[in-house]
Amino acid sequence: MIERLKLYARIYAIQLKNNWVRETVYRANFVTAVGVDIVWILVEVSLFAVIYSNVPSIAGWTKYQVYFFLGIFFTSDALFTVFFQRNFFNFSDLVNKGELDILLTKPVHPLFLALSRWINLTAIFTISMGLMIAVHYAPQAGFAGGMRWALVLFWMFIGVISAILLRFAFAVWIFWTDRNWALVRLYYQFFAFASKPDAIYPKVIRYLILTFIPFAFIGSVPARALLHGLELWEYLALVLVLLGFFILNTILWRRGLRRYQSASS
Amino acid sequence: MNWRLAALKNGFKDYTAYRVEFLMEILGNAIVPAAIQWVLWYAIFKTDGATELAGMTYVQMLHYTLVSVLFNQVRGGDQDFELAEMIRTGQLSNYLIRPVGLIQFIYIRGVASKLLISALSLAIGIVLSVSVLSSEASPLRMIGAMLLALLGNVIHFQIGAVLSAMAFRWEDAYGLLMVKNMAVSILSGELLPLNLFPESMSWIWKSTPFYLYVFGPAQYALGEWTHLEFVRQLGVAFLWIFVLWVLIRFTWGLGIKKYVSLGG
Amino acid sequence: MQLLFKPEIQTHFALKDVSFNVEPGSFVGLIGANGAGKTTLLKILSGLIPPTEGSTRVLGYNPFERPLDFRRKIALVMGQKAQLWWDLPANDAFDLLHAIYDIPDKLYRERVQILSELLDVKQHLQTQIRRLSLGERMKMELIGAILHWPSVIFLDEPTIGLDVMAAAKLREFLKVFNQREKSTIILTSHNMDDIERLCSRVLILRAGELIYDGKPAGLLREGERRLKVRFSLVPDLEELSRITRLPLNQISVAMSERAEDPDLAPETGGVYFTLKQDQIVPVLQILMQHGTIIDMGIEEQSLESVIQRVFEGGIKP
Repeated sequence: MIERLKLYARIYAIQLKNNWVRETVYRANFVTAVGVDIVWILVEVSLFAVIYSNVPSIAGWTKYQVYFFLGIFFTSDALFTVFFQRNFFNFSDLVNKGELDILLTKPVHPLFLALSRWINLTAIFTISMGLMIAVHYAPQAGFAGGMRWALVLFWMFIGVISAILLRFAFAVWIFWTDRNWALVRLYYQFFAFASKPDAIYPKVIRYLILTFIPFAFIGSVPARALLHGLELWEYLALVLVLLGFFILNTILWRRGLRRYQSASS
Repeated sequence: MNWRLAALKNGFKDYTAYRVEFLMEILGNAIVPAAIQWVLWYAIFKTDGATELAGMTYVQMLHYTLVSVLFNQVRGGDQDFELAEMIRTGQLSNYLIRPVGLIQFIYIRGVASKLLISALSLAIGIVLSVSVLSSEASPLRMIGAMLLALLGNVIHFQIGAVLSAMAFRWEDAYGLLMVKNMAVSILSGELLPLNLFPESMSWIWKSTPFYLYVFGPAQYALGEWTHLEFVRQLGVAFLWIFVLWVLIRFTWGLGIKKYVSLGG
Repeated sequence: MQLLFKPEIQTHFALKDVSFNVEPGSFVGLIGANGAGKTTLLKILSGLIPPTEGSTRVLGYNPFERPLDFRRKIALVMGQKAQLWWDLPANDAFDLLHAIYDIPDKLYRERVQILSELLDVKQHLQTQIRRLSLGERMKMELIGAILHWPSVIFLDEPTIGLDVMAAAKLREFLKVFNQREKSTIILTSHNMDDIERLCSRVLILRAGELIYDGKPAGLLREGERRLKVRFSLVPDLEELSRITRLPLNQISVAMSERAEDPDLAPETGGVYFTLKQDQIVPVLQILMQHGTIIDMGIEEQSLESVIQRVFEGGIKP
């Protein structure tokens, strides 16, 4: 077991190195990517700045609490971007163009190879932007700080895991359809809901994004947990939903793979 | 057949070929921004108990949301990305020898779907204007508003064409176009009515033409603008179109000169 | 909803009653026209797809269970699918395989050294793969695929699209590797040269059935050539047979050889004549009097004609 983990760690280290080699070749993209990310952050922040110039709070959330939430959300999203976004983006090619064949003959899990290939090192800059925003507004948002920053790490982890499980649940249908960009689009449309604190949503939507389409776990639940703590049922929902998605994804992957293998002759 | 007509027909065909995706795209594009706006207003008015926001009531906010979604559908497409990509990959060479204006061709082919959508949106808008919306709204205002939104669509593409000319000098203009689209998302009024901007900041949206895409048409359609103001804003739109037309000629003229001198 | 889903794949038998054993260390060629089931067979053997009936054992394993030890011992190279990362120099791309197969460092360095020398690409190890020629790229792919010294190597059309020199180099290398390392190699090819020069045993598939299993010698007829002629007008084969006084079975419509079309569309105006060396000139003279020739060439015997002859019972293993 430990031997296997070491092997996977070594493979990941090589993927990191190779991505570094690749990115140093295409350095011009760096400026563009960082610039685009900064503007995106500015737009999201200024949307709330405009609203808060008219009202003191939205659903009980002050301006600074929302900024703190945005900081956490940007960080969680950027972490996903660094390690997974492009891998999921290329997932459909893997299946459609039969590139999965080669991965299946390798003595490591094919999904591991598929999801570790592209690492977007420039988005690390966005992680630091997000963290800076969170740290900057933490005192005014009422975040106690100190040792609690360790909890931020934990909740970031939860945020990224949620994003992976959700994204996978949308990507895996490529085994059954030729073009799944409509589904991918749907993912990003739902994702827009994740970029607002879940407290502002009417009850029905709130339950939905905490259960069947759990986009709230990507950013707003972590931010809320850090600021106010969660209700007991929400912790329970978190565990059950993530577990449920993991099981669902495992089943879909196995079935999909079987379909892929019977269809490719 | 006139080549412009041919380009338009070609564009229609592309879209009707993928009907399911086309419908899903429209639905997604309409429902998501509307839902997010509604959710925000719901939280402010219903949960927090506010009675007005920048002079607008909850019902007025919802009317704005409803109407803005219609105009948002007509807002500029991705044809400018197509232009930039052509320059970057060198595909442009294939078109330089053809006698039709490439920029016009790309625009017309891409705008076909938007025309379909705008007709649909207009029909819905007219129904809304005689039913749900307040008494100031009228079918005539809706038609005028859609006209302004279509001019906005032209302006959006023109700005994109000027920016994509940067691709002649710089490896990818992609980033610039992305940044422009993100600025549009907040300054066009598709996410919130622009009168929510504090007075001291309103110069920001007033100095770009982006408000002509969604906020302007919505104002006229909802009866917030007088007919005189509408005519004045039409003038502003045409002025932008003229200025941008000059800018396109200038930037593309320079760009193509450089492109040709490098051997295409 | 129907638009969103693929139509169900029609079931048909890609392979029927194919049964054979391979001695360790041998070099086996698998030939057949497109769609004959070669790639399906390779995929079954390498564990990518299950046989609907019957059983397969490779190295004592059931391939479709894909046990770890089995995957460590095999290699699959597909001429049309690259596994190395195009944005990287080959050396960096190999590093990943080094890690995946957990090859000891010293051994890994030696192998890269030996293989790149044998294949004559040592000077390109630091070049981005996208900047290499097709032949060099294929050589790198091959090195990458066998860095873990597999006991069984499956090669699907390794020489496809390569120029004559590169293909020859690749063949020479495969021969040496097979003899030296005693790896079992199973290769599919369109190219009779590949089969003739490498394989000690040939399997011929036709429409999913094994129609020949034996030595490659005797498959080719001595002194026979193929004359390929393209006419400006698509000619009538019977008419051609009459004017050249050749029997009809020596004249056939040429198929386009582009690898990407799966069912080989007829090439417009292209016709093959199977001839003895000394018949070529007289036949050409007759043809030139009867029609406009756009293009012509003399080729080795084609895979198709060999398969056709075997199928008609002309050759017994």
